[in-house]
Amino acid sequence: MMIRMTLGLVLVLVTSWGPAWAESDQQTIVFGQSAALTGPARELGIGMRLGLHAAFSEVNREGGVHDRLLRLESLDDRYEPEAAIANTRALIEKYKVFALIGAVGTPTSKSAQPVATEAGVPYIAPFTGAEFLRDAKKRPNVVNVRASYYQETDEMVVRLHEDLGIDRISIFYQNDSFGQAGLNGLRRAVNRHGLSLIEEVYYTRNTEAVKIALLDLRRANAKAVVIVGAYKPAATMIQWAKRLNFNPYFINISFIGSAALARALGPDGAGVYVTQVVPFPRDTSLPIVAQYQKALMEIDANSKPSFVSLEGYLAGRIAIEGLQLAGPAPTRENFLHALTQAGDIDLGGFHLRYGVDDNQGSDQVYLTRIDKRGRFQSVNKMSAP
Amino acid sequence: MNEPPPTGSQNPIDAGTPPREVKPSAIEELETEKHFRVGIGARLYFLLLGAVVLMGGATTLAYFTFNETLQHEIQLAEYSMPNLIDSVGVARKSAIVVNGAFRLVSASSKEEHRAVVEATAREIASLENTILELEARSAFDEQTRLIRSNLEELGGHLEVIKQSSARRLDIVRALNVFIDELGETSRRVERLLVEAIDDQAFYLISGLRQLDDKVHSIKKRASEDELTAYRNLITVNQSANLAVLLLDEVLVLADRQFLIPLEERFQSAVRNFVQAYAKLPDSMQNDLLEENLTRLDEIGEGPEGVIKLRMEELLRLGQEQDTLAKARTTSESLVSEVNSLVAQINEEAIQSSTAARSAAQTGILLLILLNVFGTIGAVALGSVFVRRYLVHRLTGLASAMREMASGDLEVPVQVEGHDITKPGKDSANYFTRNVKYLVWDDEVTDMARALEVFRRYAREVQRLNLVEKLAKELDAKNENLEQALENLKAAQEQVIAEQKLASLGQLTAGVAHEIKNPLNFVSNFANVSIEMADDIEELMKQDDNLDLEEIKSILEELRTSLGKIKEHGKRADNIVRSMLEHSRSKEGEWRKTNLNALLKQYVDLSYHALRAEDNSFNAEMKEDLDPNIEEIVVIPQDICRVFLNLVTNAFQAMNEKQKKVGSDYLPVLSISSRPLEDRVEFSIRDNGPGIPDDVRDKIFEPFVTTKEPGKGTGLGLSLTTDILVRHGGAIQVDTEVGQYTEMRVSLPLEPPAEALSSMENKTE
Repeated sequence: MMIRMTLGLVLVLVTSWGPAWAESDQQTIVFGQSAALTGPARELGIGMRLGLHAAFSEVNREGGVHDRLLRLESLDDRYEPEAAIANTRALIEKYKVFALIGAVGTPTSKSAQPVATEAGVPYIAPFTGAEFLRDAKKRPNVVNVRASYYQETDEMVVRLHEDLGIDRISIFYQNDSFGQAGLNGLRRAVNRHGLSLIEEVYYTRNTEAVKIALLDLRRANAKAVVIVGAYKPAATMIQWAKRLNFNPYFINISFIGSAALARALGPDGAGVYVTQVVPFPRDTSLPIVAQYQKALMEIDANSKPSFVSLEGYLAGRIAIEGLQLAGPAPTRENFLHALTQAGDIDLGGFHLRYGVDDNQGSDQVYLTRIDKRGRFQSVNKMSAP
Repeated sequence: MNEPPPTGSQNPIDAGTPPREVKPSAIEELETEKHFRVGIGARLYFLLLGAVVLMGGATTLAYFTFNETLQHEIQLAEYSMPNLIDSVGVARKSAIVVNGAFRLVSASSKEEHRAVVEATAREIASLENTILELEARSAFDEQTRLIRSNLEELGGHLEVIKQSSARRLDIVRALNVFIDELGETSRRVERLLVEAIDDQAFYLISGLRQLDDKVHSIKKRASEDELTAYRNLITVNQSANLAVLLLDEVLVLADRQFLIPLEERFQSAVRNFVQAYAKLPDSMQNDLLEENLTRLDEIGEGPEGVIKLRMEELLRLGQEQDTLAKARTTSESLVSEVNSLVAQINEEAIQSSTAARSAAQTGILLLILLNVFGTIGAVALGSVFVRRYLVHRLTGLASAMREMASGDLEVPVQVEGHDITKPGKDSANYFTRNVKYLVWDDEVTDMARALEVFRRYAREVQRLNLVEKLAKELDAKNENLEQALENLKAAQEQVIAEQKLASLGQLTAGVAHEIKNPLNFVSNFANVSIEMADDIEELMKQDDNLDLEEIKSILEELRTSLGKIKEHGKRADNIVRSMLEHSRSKEGEWRKTNLNALLKQYVDLSYHALRAEDNSFNAEMKEDLDPNIEEIVVIPQDICRVFLNLVTNAFQAMNEKQKKVGSDYLPVLSISSRPLEDRVEFSIRDNGPGIPDDVRDKIFEPFVTTKEPGKGTGLGLSLTTDILVRHGGAIQVDTEVGQYTEMRVSLPLEPPAEALSSMENKTE
């Protein structure tokens, strides 16, 4: 028994950063991830995978959950919905995963989640705030960690309207279900303040054809542009706006990929806001962030804390929490049931709460701003530059 | 009621039958009584023999039925079942082969296709083997020949489909690759063109191409060349999109004919984007876009492109479906032949199976019947022979032995109702009798006979012993009895003496009255006589005038008067004499007595005795005494006591009633006598209160009285009975409560022997 445990631990330590995984056995619980590991959204998939590994390795080092080691199988879907469906099927049928975790993107989740729901497999912590995933009645197997896009866009409007008194708000969105989710959320949010969007422009997914849209925004004299899109077209658009001397407030939704955005913008990034759904990853005053940094260092000493990998870590932690609560003989049913019955779950200062009709753990939205040196600052309010 | 008491002089032994002597002849008769007999052993052997014969029969029967079942089973196992299995195998394998054609056409991958081809080939080979086996085993040549020919035809169709569908699947695989490539290519083309169009439109409006460019003047950026370039970019984008859409349509279209117009439209779309691309300025042409556009054309129109492949695929599919239709016809014929074979073999198997089952059922039925008969036989043997013929009879013997052991030797030995002391005589029917002996005459009967012989010996011996013993015991008892009798007699005599004295006392008053009456007469007649003597003397003094006649008449009267004195003196003397006789304690003598007179005399005595006590008592007397009644020999002192008792009782009872009822009641005592055939009967009847039934039954017992204490001894009627018994007489009572009581005493005309002997002695 001890030999086997030790062997398993060694195996996990040795292979935890590679695609090659030990075959499943009684002592291992396998989680499956289909996410973009290549392509324009790869930073998100890789970040989530890193955070999940950090959490799983952390618990495996302590002997696992109820003497079972956790393992992650990650497959690349290139942010393509078709590939996400194929991957999800493979993870369920071939890899026999206990649960799916850490999917990235709204269109991919929209395609993959029905596959998981049909198979009764838990669908944990997708990296998206799309509203449809928050319908607990139709999707009882979904366990969300983050706040929804509706909550993020709501926070944006509150901040713009209350802190800066801006009412000429427009949107720049990716023309797909992700962008549509952000658009719907923002429309709701401005309507609640008695406003309407003065301009709605989109760009085609996986292109950087954003400039005509920018001209439309300029023509509409927008004072604030909410960006619901990928970091690259967002960065291109912001840079061209600066070139045209068109300087509204740019506020990005969390999905943007904060680090990539800051890097792509360079000096043009100063003053760009991004809403976040996880705590600031360098704020070690929160115990969970400190644990995250320590776990991250354990598996990769060169990695830097990021919002995405912190979200991955939190996803891993909630999966571990669910397994702890489910007891020594976990089933998919008692895992999900345990989480809905757990009440308030305090992951080191990050609070989650699930219920029968509530599959979203956190309602927290955090506001961050890129400073002149291209670094993120945690801010409570918006302010003029 | 009037049974004679034991006389005490008779020996009870004399009353029994004289001891029976043992009669060896009778026993011999029992022993030698030989009938047709079958012993128990013989009977048991006979029954066992029956059982063995039955078992033998059962075994033979079982052998034959099971042998028949076995024959059918062998037929079933060695011929019908393998045939059935083979025919079912043929059916199953045929179905797989037939199905193979459909599966080949519908196979979606090379692997599946190969698997179906292999499986079908395997089943065809196996099917041929099975058919060979069937042919070798039996004569289904016609069916197997037809199956074989159908199979060969089907094989030909299968080969055609196999070849065609293999090629078709290669095409499908190639098309799938194209689909993926088409998606990639079209996305790249779209992305490049959308960005180029965005750039060009932005340039036309803003005059900027790069972030670090200076803004171009409106004249430069809105030149005809720039606008034409923008238009051509849009044309390329539109035509490329149209080409992709047309290819998508080609991939899903199922009707081959419609591929031709689609091909034409695709060719024009390709021409459009090729021409428009060629017109783009060099700065907008780039290798990536050109490469992808060329690839799009190749995917669509190349010699191994989507349109050509799709055409071939659909052509082959059509041909395969035609062949499949032929194969279906062949397979229907094959299935029909196989079904006919299966049905035929199944029919055979069912026949064998039915025959086996019916043989087995017959065997089972026969065995059950044998078993039932055997069981019934065993029960019958047990209950009829063992229980009824043996145990029951042995129990009877045992019971007879127990009775003998307990000393009862009088019951003849009986076994099963047959009294062997009277062999054969208790049945009138000859047949029944003989059958009975046929059944009964066995060892048990022997034992019964022997026991009966023993019983008879024992009984005789016991009787002899018993007689001797009884004689001794009776002697001793007799002595005691005689002693007791003497004591009793003494007591009785004492009692009788006392009774006599009592009745004497009772009579005294009556006697005194009786005596006084004649004494009055005597006194009166004496006075009259004296007066007459004086008269005579007077007459005698007158001498001269002596009237002799007168004296004579007076003397005559005197004589008469004296005669009266004498008569009444004698009467008194008689009364005194009879009283003396009555009180004499010495045993009375037997002599002839006028019982009518005696009864009358004691009625008078008793009446006067009672009146002496109670002079208010009056009673009317009625007499109806038959004067023809002769004198009969009795002991008068005893009989007069009988009459006195009965009459006194009657008067006292009437007196009691009169005291109760009063003067309205007139006591009447009727006495009567009448002769009967050899007896005389005297009746004393009163109209007193009668005797209640409960008292009536006891009145003749000693010391029973209804009178007041001190008035009666309770011995009167008891002594009366004794006296009458001694005279060979009897007494009867007839009464009705409140009306009357009538006592009837009868006495025989012939005196008893005792009287005769007593009178003889006296004579001597």
